[in-house]
Order: sequence, then structure tokens, then C-alpha cells
Amino acid sequence: MDLDKLLEISNQCIHNEPPECTASCPVHLDVIAFVSEIEKGDFEKAYRLLESRLPLPRLLGKICDHPCENVCSRKDAGGSIHIGELERAVIELGYKPPKKAIPIPKKKGNVAIIGGGLSGLCAALDLNKKGYLVTIFEKNKRIGGRFWDYEGNGLLKEEIEAELEQIEKSGIKIICGTEVTEEKRKELMGQFDALYLGTGNWSRQFSPDPVTFQAEEPPLFVGGKLSGCQDSVILSASSGKRAAVSIDRFISKSSMMASREREGVFKTLLNYSVKDEIWEEPVKKETGIYSGSEAEKEAGRCFKCQCNECIRACSHMQKFDITPNAYIRRINHNERIILGTHFANKMINSCTECGLCKVQCPVGIGMQDIIHETRKSMVERGKMPLSAHDFALKDMQFSMSEDCSMVRRQPDKEQSKALFYYPVLAFSQYARGLYKGSGKTGYLFYPGCQLSATHAKYIGQMYKHLVGVIKEHEAEKDVGMYLGCCGAPADWAGRQDLMQENVNKIKKVWDEMDQPVFILACTSCMSMFEKYMPMIRTVSLWEILDQYGLPEVDIKQGKRVLNIHDACTARYHTNIHESIRNIAKTLGYKIEELDYSREKAKCCGYGGLVSNANKEQAETFVSDRVSEASQDLLVYCAMCKDSLMRGNKRVYHILDIIYGNELEDDSPQTILTLSDRHNNRRKLKKNLLEEIWKEKQDMETGCDFEGIIPEDVLAVMDERFILTDDVWKVVDHSRKYNERFFMPDTCNYLARLRLENVTYWVQYEEKGNKIIVKQVYSHRMEVLEE
Amino acid sequence: MEADKNEKNPWMCGRCQRALVLEKVKVRYLEGNFEVELYKCPQCSQVFISEELALGKMLEVEKGLEDK
Repeated sequence: MDLDKLLEISNQCIHNEPPECTASCPVHLDVIAFVSEIEKGDFEKAYRLLESRLPLPRLLGKICDHPCENVCSRKDAGGSIHIGELERAVIELGYKPPKKAIPIPKKKGNVAIIGGGLSGLCAALDLNKKGYLVTIFEKNKRIGGRFWDYEGNGLLKEEIEAELEQIEKSGIKIICGTEVTEEKRKELMGQFDALYLGTGNWSRQFSPDPVTFQAEEPPLFVGGKLSGCQDSVILSASSGKRAAVSIDRFISKSSMMASREREGVFKTLLNYSVKDEIWEEPVKKETGIYSGSEAEKEAGRCFKCQCNECIRACSHMQKFDITPNAYIRRINHNERIILGTHFANKMINSCTECGLCKVQCPVGIGMQDIIHETRKSMVERGKMPLSAHDFALKDMQFSMSEDCSMVRRQPDKEQSKALFYYPVLAFSQYARGLYKGSGKTGYLFYPGCQLSATHAKYIGQMYKHLVGVIKEHEAEKDVGMYLGCCGAPADWAGRQDLMQENVNKIKKVWDEMDQPVFILACTSCMSMFEKYMPMIRTVSLWEILDQYGLPEVDIKQGKRVLNIHDACTARYHTNIHESIRNIAKTLGYKIEELDYSREKAKCCGYGGLVSNANKEQAETFVSDRVSEASQDLLVYCAMCKDSLMRGNKRVYHILDIIYGNELEDDSPQTILTLSDRHNNRRKLKKNLLEEIWKEKQDMETGCDFEGIIPEDVLAVMDERFILTDDVWKVVDHSRKYNERFFMPDTCNYLARLRLENVTYWVQYEEKGNKIIVKQVYSHRMEVLEE
Repeated sequence: MEADKNEKNPWMCGRCQRALVLEKVKVRYLEGNFEVELYKCPQCSQVFISEELALGKMLEVEKGLEDK
């Protein structure tokens, strides 16, 4: 994993990008922090923030021409925040006299400031603070320049005098009534280490550097109106402050240009969208200045503009309270530590890899690929927590095993000849399809492991329908059937070794079948085929049904309104979105779209195996998604249905409405247990082989008892990822070898058995031939019995 | 990660019909090897792990080792 490249991505995240107001403020007042303090009613803190950026805050704060207001995002949603008015209120309500500064020795050099006006005073104050001996030359009798223009017009005489008095007390040398001419300036250049020229007018023109304010003659710096600051007082102040930075760098012989790209006014990358914001007009003043409560209210209108587009849409980032840039830094740290705890493991395994963040992000950062690469790296380095995905991977292997997996060509004509007579041929499209059998498999119906587990009852019917409609349109192409798993769990778990095994298996089948088109019912399968097996042509089952027609089932046309929950793995499959909507409309349903639909689909919480690694996180995805829906939900992924039903919502799979099931029934829908799903897959293979391919199957349990597991114990087993198959193995073993504990009071047995890397414990009671299970638990730690 | 010594263990070995005794037992997971005091049958050495231990302290140690 290239961590340096990863960190570069984190630097592109604009979550910490300043808002327009701060970027347009020449002295970069942190407006969000400032208004937030006001909103809280802490005017003193707000004043301290103002003071930290603004020189002579009690004067400048009152006369600032606030360019921030022109760019405020609120301007299109009621009117800009009155930041200028808020500054005035803060000065009035939060002013605290500055603490007496400890005088620092003026050893760094001596600087002359020509012109005791606004920009000159700002430069002088900053240089004085930095430890320079500063001398101001002012031609008038008093310093203050433009501030005096505001006397009686925004500023009081006493205020100006009080603030200027502070300058005199600060140790800056002030020489008034001395006009410096061009000739005198040249003379001063030899006497001082640097000169700042901040007079409004001068006998000749200078062209100072726009970043450093350094003029053509090196120790000379030019700011204020002479540098083009025109009438903006805040730009003038900023030029003085920035020239002070340059003078400091010049005298101390450090780089004049380094890290100054964003000094003064700059363009922020943040482009805050107000489209979802509510219109609110500015708070009106009762008197000449905002009262405390008026200011608080006005500050409350501020959006605190920040890019949170991804976080707003993602339950995962919300739960871990993290932004992509911080997330990436945590991954970087997690990847680099050698000794110690990998604290980010749980977070990394709690992302659904759904890809919504990338759709939301204005600069296109997506966590999906990053998380995927990270999990792969964790597996490769042996740092992936074993328990996070173990169950899902075993479940996947089971789906791929002989127990559930099978491949068959379309039943041949010889095998099906019992169907080829009137009236069967006339009424059964399936029989006609078989009759047209060509022996060449053009399509392979691949329902996927999850649909086979939850909607097994429809798979055979759908297969027959596909044979019927496809043979009618494309007579030369037979339709085969393939039960298996695409390997999505391996991909999500970062197990490239298992993924590759699966891919090889599927490709082998594809080749043996003369490279048919796969008909996929699951969008997770679709994304895996696209990612790992691009050579295999696929088509969505829903597109086929939309194009060739739905099964004719005696159903009542629905009149209800449904919300569609799109599958996140079909995010960019516009054709699938359309097909699903067309099918629902054909069946008479009205569709109400959710805010997050189609390419903005939110994950149901199953993606990325989150429900295996962090159940609580999966639950937040469910509740978030369910809260968005006002109607019953329509989904087209078996896992979406299973997950969302856990949010106490009625959820229909598209097959449920195609086959007209569960339509009027208001009873709660049943969520299948993990064991049910296992057994359904096994039974599906058996049933299909018997019913369609007429192959007799034997199913043996191999146990000599009748096992009973009460509902509440079953629920606990699901919670703990324990299957009934394994429970019976434990019980059977304990009875055969008499390896068990006994409790005389209850006559209960307790037995344990290690299966692969897990030890399962089962407490049970024997009643004749019946075994009643009381409790089940497991651990991974191995106990050495010796 | 030890068995609770304060409570009397109501289980006995189903095969040997013996009361369980507390003894040092070796356990291991990933890179971790420990010796802990657990209940076992003094005759056939079958070790007893309670639900509380499996889902409490034991799970905690497992998770800790997995994140190392």
C-alpha cells in the first residue's frame, strides 16, 4: 500500500478549507469561531478572537469595510450575516483591557515607519511585538491618520485617543511634526535596517511586490494606499501587517516567499451549497447597535460553512465522528505501527464500501477503494482481526461447496419429452422453450447465494420463465443454471486469495459452457463480475424481465405507493434503476423516490460485511435509511431486504411483488435466521435438481435424535453467529463419546467441540429421543486439555 | 481470564462423574500463550469454560490479541 500517495489524497480533502468570509478577510478573522462564541453568548471570548487577528481592534472593528459580507453564503438565503454589526456589538459587550505585556528586549534591529496612519501603525505594532526598535515619523502633530476621518462618524474622539495612547505606551518611538521627503527617506535608509513607507501620498511612484510589499530599493517596504489599497481600511491594515512579516524575514535573512500563498485575500476551494438551507432574514437592531440577544440571534443565522458533504450522507463517518482527511491519517498510522495496538481496525472494518462518499465529494475523494486497499494490506500483513469476517467467509465457502453449488445446462429435449404434447405445449411457454432446445448454452441464470438463501422459492419458477421467454426471442440460446457465490465476501474482507479461487472456478464453468451470458439477479454479483471477470458478459435479471416480460402470475395489481431503496452496488447502473421502476409501474405500483436514490443510493448496512465486523454500526445504517422512507420499501437485493427489515420496516423484494406475495398481509415479516439461510441454499439445490433436472437427491442428517431449539435460543445463536448444523455436531459428538459435563440439579448436559478455529459449547436436556437446546456460546481461544 | 473461584461450580464431569477442580490450564490464541486457572475434570482433564468467561474476559483477550 502506497501510504505517501494516500496522504496526498488526504491533503486534497477540503473539510478544513476556510469559508468565503475568512478567505476574503485580509486579516483572516476566524468568522465561524467568532460568531459561534457570540451565539453562545460569550462576548469576551469573541472579543479575544477579534483582537488576535485585528490590530487596534476597538477602532478597526468599528470602521472595517467588511468585505466578508459581500461573499457570505447567507446572502442567497435571506441576506448576509451582519458581521460588521456583530464586531461592533462584541467591542461594546466583550472588551477587556489588554493584559500588560512583558517588555521584550529590542535587539533584533531598528525600523523606521514613515507615516503614522493606519497601515504604518499596524506595521509598527507588529514589529514592536517581534522585538524591533520602531520609530514612527509623522508629518502631522498627531498620529492616527485616517482614523481621525471617522471622528464623529463611527468613532468617538476619546476612543481614538485612548487606543493611540496604547501605542505610545508600548515603547514605540513617535516623532510628530516631521515631514520626511524623498531626500530624507534616502538618508534614513542608511540609518535603519529597514524602512516602511505608509504615507497616503508620495512624490514618486513605487511598485512594491504584491506579496512581500518590498519596493525596488531593498530595505524599503511600501504599504497602505501607496501599494494600491485604495479606501479599504482593512486592506490597508493587512498591508502593514504583511509588510511587517517581510521586514522581519528581510532583517533575519530568511526566505521572503516561503509559505505565503494564502496571505491576504485568497480563493477558498470551499463552495458551500445553500440549496437545502432555510431562508432567514437578518435580525433588526432596536437601537444603533445590536443588543446581546440580538447579536446572538444574528450569529445563529450563520451556516458555519464547512464541507461536510460526505459525512452528512454517511452513517459510518458520523458514528466515528471522522472526516476523510483524518480517516486517512488514522489508516496511515494503523498501517505503520509495528508494535502496539491497531486501534483503527474496527473503524476500517465498519465501512460498507458503498461508494456514496465519492459521489458526494466535490473533489472526488472516495473511501471505498482506500478501505479496500487497506483491508487487503491488513490481510497480507497478517493484521486483519480473524473474527471480523470469519463467519461470512465460511458462509461463502459453504455456498461454493458441493452442498449448495451446481451447474446445469438446460434440460435436453430427450429428457423433457414427457412435456411435449398438447395441451402442455400450447399453454406452457417453458415446455415450448425446452422443445426448442439447441444444446448450446447462450445464457446462464446465476441467482447468487443470498437470493438462493432468502427467496429460494422463486428461483425455480424464475428459471422456467427465463427458459420460456428467452427461447421465444432467441431460439438458438439455451438457458442454463448456476448456483454459487460470486466471492463478494472475499472482496470485502480483503481476501484476494479466496477471491481468485472463486474467480477461477467461475471462469472454468464459463469456458466449459462455451462462454454464455450470465443473467445476474444480485447487484453485488454484478459489481464483482465487472471488477474481477470483465471478460464475462452479464445482464441483469431485471433488464431481461423489463425487456421480455414478467411471469404471468395471478396477482392483484398493486395500487400502493412504494419507496425504492436502490442497491449501492448498482449505483452507476442506470439501466437497472430504470428496469426496476418499469417493473414496479407495470405491476401497478406508484413510486416515490427517496432523496438518496439511484447514483446516490445509501447502503443498507450489509455492504463491506459491516454487520459481521460491527453490528452496532450496521444498525445505524439501517435506522438512518429506514428513517428516510415514509412508505414501505421496495428493494432488489436480498441483503437489502434482510437488513432493512431489521429496522422494523415492511420491505418487499422485487420478486415478492412480481410473484404477488406478502402484498396485503400486515403481519410482521419474518427475518430468516443464519441457519435457515444455510439450509435453504442446500434445499434449493436438491429441489431444483429433483424438479427440473429429475435427479433424485438424498439428504441425510446423520443424527440419531430429534433436535429442538427454542426461538429465544435461535435468536441468541444468530447474534453469536452460530449455526444449528454446528450445534448438532457438538451434541452428536458429546453423546457418541460421552464427552460432556452434567449438572445434577437440572439434569442438563454441557458439551464442547472445536470445529476449525472455534470451540462451540451447547447446553442441552435429553428427553427420550429429543434434544432440547438451552444455551449456546463459543470462543476462539484454544484450550489445551492435557 | 480465570474461572470464578468464589462460586461453587454446579457442573461435574459427565463421563467420570467427578467434581471439577481448579487447575492451571494452557490456553492459546494467535501469538498468545497463557496459563490460567480453570475448572477441569481431575480424571479425564476435560476443561470447563462458562458462558460468562467465554463471552467476557476470554473474548476481551481474543479481541486484544487480534488487534496486536
